[in-house]
Amino acid sequence: MAGTKQSPATASQNPLLSLWKAYNDQTPDRLKFIDAFLFFLMLSGIIQFAYCVLVTTYPYNAFLSGFGSTVGQFVLAASLRSQVNPQNREEFKNVSPERAFADFALGSIVLHFFVYNFLG
Amino acid sequence: MFFRSFGLLLLAAAAQASILTLKSPRFVVSDSIGTQLRAEPISLEHRTASPVKLGGRDTLKLTFQVVEKEDGKGVQPHQTFLRFYDEVTGEEGIQPIRVASNGKAKFDLNPSKPPLSLPPTPKTASGEVNPLQLTLLIGSPEHEPLSIRLFDLVLPPSQPAPVHPDEIKFHLQEELFHTFRPDQKVPNKFISLVFSGIALAPWVVLLGLWSQVAPAPTNLLSPFILPFILSLGAFETLLFTYWVKLKLFDVLLYGAGLGLVTIFTGRQALASISAQRKD
Repeated sequence: MAGTKQSPATASQNPLLSLWKAYNDQTPDRLKFIDAFLFFLMLSGIIQFAYCVLVTTYPYNAFLSGFGSTVGQFVLAASLRSQVNPQNREEFKNVSPERAFADFALGSIVLHFFVYNFLG
Repeated sequence: MFFRSFGLLLLAAAAQASILTLKSPRFVVSDSIGTQLRAEPISLEHRTASPVKLGGRDTLKLTFQVVEKEDGKGVQPHQTFLRFYDEVTGEEGIQPIRVASNGKAKFDLNPSKPPLSLPPTPKTASGEVNPLQLTLLIGSPEHEPLSIRLFDLVLPPSQPAPVHPDEIKFHLQEELFHTFRPDQKVPNKFISLVFSGIALAPWVVLLGLWSQVAPAPTNLLSPFILPFILSLGAFETLLFTYWVKLKLFDVLLYGAGLGLVTIFTGRQALASISAQRKD
């Protein structure tokens, strides 16, 4: 997740706020798009886990497949993000963004196959 | 062959069947020092009225002579048995009796040294002992069989029969019940609905964020890219249908076909995007 750590000159402000501001200013929209998806997956996973702990695990396979799908999708999306990030181009010289997206699509389809298989 | 032997048998029965009887049958009950407590002849017509009672140290002595009824000649029958029968419990014992060649026989019964054939005489609920019926059975091939009810005999109570260690296993055992974990319950409707709402809430967040930051989709509908989007959508639809109704092998079959299509459309779409990017 490079590109968000650059400290602005207004250091007197709340560092968290300045971090947020830098992120907003310096992150391309395509990465923000993926970040929104990652945030969604994180929230969804947390909620499912909280339901499992607080209320019931009853359809346990449903919980496992739901939670597993969010975690798996998060991993796939995060790797997609790191591969398409322009600042990481040096790291992934051989991986074009299209190739990364194809990997993401293939991984997602396999993941969804297992998730539906497990959902019962 | 059968009729011949049957005829022979009939002939033999008619010619040789003669009748046996007992001469001077009597019994004596004496105590341990030999004093006679009861001594009676046995009538073959009328059974001895009162049962013969035998104490623990008394001795019963039975004497008779087996004779032919016609000429009074002593006969040694082939088989002579004394049958003890408990009418209540159905237990019986057969005691062979030795008869001398002149037909005289003697049988002693000492309850302190009981013969093995004597049936058990347990105490009943009322504390009494069931009387044993004594029957004399005589069989001989040359004579009519003979069965004589002698008298009823009351013996001292026998020891209770020992219980076999495995005896308890031969009774109806306690019924086995399988216990299962109680069924898991779905939480009540209100909680389910609330959490359904919470679980769906991230979608609102996602759509809200995407409305802010989504990059404008460029040429999604172009003939190079649209087939790829459609085949990805078809894959997701196939997997959803798998969840709803399809079998695994159906999905693998359709998925293989769809996979080939997707690889082709994907190459085309991504190649066109890549070409655009490099321009």
